[in-house]
Order: sequence, then C-alpha cells, then structure tokens
Amino acid sequence: MPARLSVPKALSYAALCLLFLCVASLLLGAGDIGVLPSLQALLGGNDEDARFIVFELRWVRTELALLVGLALGAAGVLLQAVTRNPLAEPGLLGVSAGASFAVVLAINLGASAASLHMGVAVLGSLVGCVLVLLVTRLRGVGDDPVRLVLAGAAFSGMLGALSSLLLLWDQRTADEMRFWVIGALAGRPLDTLDWSLPGLFAGLTMALLVVRPLAALALGERVASGLGHHPQLARLGTLLTVAILVGTATAAAGPIAFIGLIVPYIARRLVGSDIRRTLGLSMLLGPCVLLLADVISRLLVRPYELPVGVVTAFVGAPILIAVVRNHRLPTL
Amino acid sequence: MNAPAPHPALPPAGHHLLRMGSYSLLLHRRSAVVALILSLLLIAAATAILAAGDDALTPWKALQATFGQGEALQVFLIQELRLPRLVAGLLSGAALGAAGCLLQTLARNRLATPGVIGIDDGATAFAVASIVAVPTSLAPSALALSGAATAAVLTFALAAGGGARGYRFIVVGIAIGALFGALTNLMLARSDMDAANAAYPWTVGSLNARPADSVLLLGIGLAAGLPLAKLLTRVLSLMRFSDSVAIGLGVRLQRMRLLTLALCVWLTALAVAVVGPVGLIALAAPEMARHLCDRHGVPVFNAALSGALMMIIADWLGRTLLAPIEIPVGIIAAVVGGPYLLWILLRQAPRSST
Repeated sequence: MPARLSVPKALSYAALCLLFLCVASLLLGAGDIGVLPSLQALLGGNDEDARFIVFELRWVRTELALLVGLALGAAGVLLQAVTRNPLAEPGLLGVSAGASFAVVLAINLGASAASLHMGVAVLGSLVGCVLVLLVTRLRGVGDDPVRLVLAGAAFSGMLGALSSLLLLWDQRTADEMRFWVIGALAGRPLDTLDWSLPGLFAGLTMALLVVRPLAALALGERVASGLGHHPQLARLGTLLTVAILVGTATAAAGPIAFIGLIVPYIARRLVGSDIRRTLGLSMLLGPCVLLLADVISRLLVRPYELPVGVVTAFVGAPILIAVVRNHRLPTL
Repeated sequence: MNAPAPHPALPPAGHHLLRMGSYSLLLHRRSAVVALILSLLLIAAATAILAAGDDALTPWKALQATFGQGEALQVFLIQELRLPRLVAGLLSGAALGAAGCLLQTLARNRLATPGVIGIDDGATAFAVASIVAVPTSLAPSALALSGAATAAVLTFALAAGGGARGYRFIVVGIAIGALFGALTNLMLARSDMDAANAAYPWTVGSLNARPADSVLLLGIGLAAGLPLAKLLTRVLSLMRFSDSVAIGLGVRLQRMRLLTLALCVWLTALAVAVVGPVGLIALAAPEMARHLCDRHGVPVFNAALSGALMMIIADWLGRTLLAPIEIPVGIIAAVVGGPYLLWILLRQAPRSST
C-alpha cells in the first residue's frame, strides 16, 4: 500500500485532532454543567461546581482515556505485526479476556490492592498472548487470518463464561465488576492513574526496542536473521510488550474491544503498512479514537452514560467486516 | 410394447425399505437405531432429572406424579416446578440442535452455527429490547424472531460479496454478533435495575422460570419446523456437493437456501426467546449425531435428540454442581463447549469444510 501522507504531516494532523478532542472531553459531558461554564472554569473562572466537574472528574477521565488509548493502540499495531494478520486485535484474540479473567479471579480470591490488579492482569494477558503465539505456530492456522480470529473468539467466549461463573459465586465481586467487565472509563478510582503509569512506560520502552526487529521480520524470517535479528527473541519480546500494555489498559479500564483494530487500520490507510511509520501514529490515534468514543458515550443517552466498550464495538465491528470483505486480505 | 414389470427394488446397503401401498420410505438402519437409543436415553435422563432434586423421589413416583397420581405435594412439585423447566430444556435443546445441523450444512462449514454467526445475539438483543421496552409476555418470542432474521440477513448479505463459504462468512458473523451484543449492553445500561434484572437470563442463557407462553410457542414452532427440516434433508444432502453439482442434480439452489435459512432462523429465534443464547448446543449436537450415525448425511432428527439430551444434562449440572447457587445453563455450555470449539478449529486440516 503506497504511503499517502508523509509521516510528519500525519503526526501533526493526529496531534491536532488529539488536542481538539482533549478540550472537547473536558467541555462536554453528561452532567448539568453546560459548555460555556465549563470553558470559563477551564480558563480560570470561579464557579465551584464547574471547577470541580472539569478538573476533578473530567480531567482524570481524560487522562485515563489518553493512557488506555495509547496502550491499546500501540498493542494493536504490535500484535498485528507479530502475527502478520490485519485482524489481530487484543480484544478479538482473547488477550483482553485473559487479563480480565485474571482480575476477576484475583478479586474473587480476596485481592483488593489496585496495584495487584495490574500485575495479575499482565500475567493473564501474557497467558493469552502465549496462546495466540502457539496457535499461529500451528500448521495451517497461522496463515489464515480469519481462523485466528475465530479461535480467539472461542477463547474469549470460554473465559467470559468462566468469569461470569466466578461472579455468580460471589455477590461482592459481582457488584464490583459488573461495569468493569464491559469496559468503562467512568468512575475509576483516583489512584488508577498512578499505578498504571509505570506499566505504560515499561510497555512503551519495550515497544521502541522491538520496532526494528519487527520491521525486519515483515520481510520474512530469513531476511530478518540475515540482518542480524533473532526472530524468536523478537516475537517473544513483542508478545511480552503487548501483554504489559494490554494488561495495564485492562486493569485500568476493563476490556475495551476493537481499539486495537480501528487504530492500525486508520494508521495503515494514512501512512502505509511499515510498522516504523505506523507505531508512532497509532500512539496518537489510539487516544483520539478512545476519547471520541468516550465523548459520544457521554452524549448519546444523556443523562445516562454508556460504557465506552459499547461505542467502540459499534465503530469496530463495521471495520472488521470491511477488512474481511476486502477480497485480498492484506498480509503484513 | 409392455413396460417391464417393476423390479422389486433392493434397498442400498445399510438401509431398510418400508413400503406402504404406493408410498415408500428409505430408512438408514444405523440412524434409526441411533434415534431409538437416543430417545431411550432421553426418557431415562428426563425421568432421573424429574426425580432428583432437593426433595428426591423415586423415579417411579416421579413418573406417577407427572400424570397427576400420588401425593398432592409431589404432584405440585413435579407438575408446577420441575416439569415446565424440563420441557423448556427439551424443546429449546431440540430446536437449537436441529437449527445448528441445518446451518452447518447450508454453509458447508461445521463451525457455522447460529451462535457463532450472530443469530443468537440478534435474537437476544431484540428479546432484551422487548423486556426493557414492551413488557408483555409474548413479546420476547416475536421480537426475537425479527432480531434473528435481521442478524441472519445482515450476515449473509455482507458476507456474500466475499464468498458465502468458509471462514470469511463466519468472521462477518462474529462482527454482527459483536454489534448486537453492544446493542444489548446499551439497552441494559440505559434501563433501570428491575428491567435489567428481568433481562439478565437472556444475556447468559438460563432455564430458570421461563415464561410458559414462549415455551408453548416454541413447542408449536418445533412441531411445525422439525418435520419440514426432515423433508429438507434429502435436498440438503445434495447441497453438500459443489453448487454446480447440486444444480445439475435438480436442486433449486436459491430457493432451498432461503428456505433452510428461514427455518434455521425460526427454530433458533424461538429457542433463544425461551432459553437465551446457548449457542454451543447448536455446535455440539450435530457433531454428536454425525459421529453416532457414522454417516456424512444431514442427521436433523438425531441432532435434535442430542441437543435436547445435552440441554437437560447441562441444566441439571448447573443446578447441582454448586447448589444452592444455580449456574445458568448458558455458562455451563460455554465452559464445556468452548474448549471443544477450539479443538475442532485447531485440529481441522486447513481449508477443509464440513
């Protein structure tokens, strides 16, 4: 696919979009505060209510959306590159399901410290990642993008059922988890941000390390080893990165599906399929998409709010169909 | 010139020819035996499940109470509490099994079951809509029907461009299912607590206290649909060949496809309106029937029997495993059926179907 935009241009457009959406996310909401009072509060007005809503509620929520979107966007690109499959998405392949099952299990066993959730979620998504890797290594399945998705759907369905079994067992867990399981940015505890930032930084650092080997791997395994990379090591490193990113995002906001599909799809459309070009752009586009979905989820059914996972599913499922209907599935 | 006297036709190997006047019926011997055994098993399991429970009866007493004999308390227990649930399980299991068998044959892919390609989710979304918005007792069935039809039409229409066969079709179905799942979540998020609780069984699949009207409707639908499905099997077994062969053998392909799909939607929707999305029954029951019959035909009837058997056993497991907590049958089916689905998927040779 030929590049349509130069990378700096695409990056600056995306950054502009992101800035705009951040402001929109601060100004718009389901609460009683209108746009103008919010704007005044943001610019230093004295209305106590507006200040509280803008700075205490929406600010935290926006930051969380930035973090989760960044992690999921980057994880989507990496997972698509390592499986060489344009349909690979952490939510569809069961990585998020692994993470959320692990968290439900941990809470069920009595854990309550938030930082523990993240460790457990990373572990769970790692198990999911390893499973994906094993499945792609299987003869015949790895070459067929669509079958991998089906296997992921089966895996997610099973883990989802196990999670609801655990929730059934224990009413306390059920009350705590009911909205988390769908994926939501609203009403997260305030310290969520503090303990998920280290995970995000670790994941992003590792992502930068594996970009070059992955780009070489896209040319084929033999070329990659000829260029001095270790294919197996690169794959393992990438999966570990994906696990950290998805685990962090899931522990922070629950399993939000389809971000990892939408973002690389748009990024490839904009700058072509080379991961060295798409990764940076995805890191900006991920928060964009998530913020947009979050703002929509606040406005759509006022005065109620939707879980943001509902909105991403409405956007992501048509894109999934579009990718599948595309006669020649692009191999990455 | 006289036409030669009709030769007393010999049935093909393994078949039995039943004649009655000018009508004849070719019976696959092994399928008939399997059907008989499955029916016996079903009766035995049903009796055992009726008898078992907190207030255990002997199987004989349970049977007596079913027909209104014995102590009043026992009769109440069986007729009012256990029997409706058992009947709901039997009927919905049978409908799902038959629907799965039809759709697998239609798509020439054994992973293409109503649950996988989103028909279940469509029916669920609309059934939940009826609970949240239109609280009348027959609404779930009627709306589930339109939901299932919508999902099926969407999946087929969207997949047709990329070839209605194989995995592409299934992934389109998964996407449609995700859309309808999101729709269900949307409605649950908006509704108040009571409506959300009332709609809960439809989101996981449960046989607990199902509305009697829907069950009755399912019974009528099944009584109409199953014989029709049995009639379709001859044509369907021809449709397993490539399209050109099937047309050459005289199958009106488009019409038959439409009819089969409609039947499948009909059975699935009525079952989902009763029990919720227990899609994996539709995957496993036809497999079991095919294994038992040892024949690559279209064992609709045996699939229905196996589906009913699986459903009531899964429901019984759900009630007893963690008693006093009841596990919804949908969760049992997903926990047991998920690994099975994965196993089929990963074991299957690349690009083969049925």
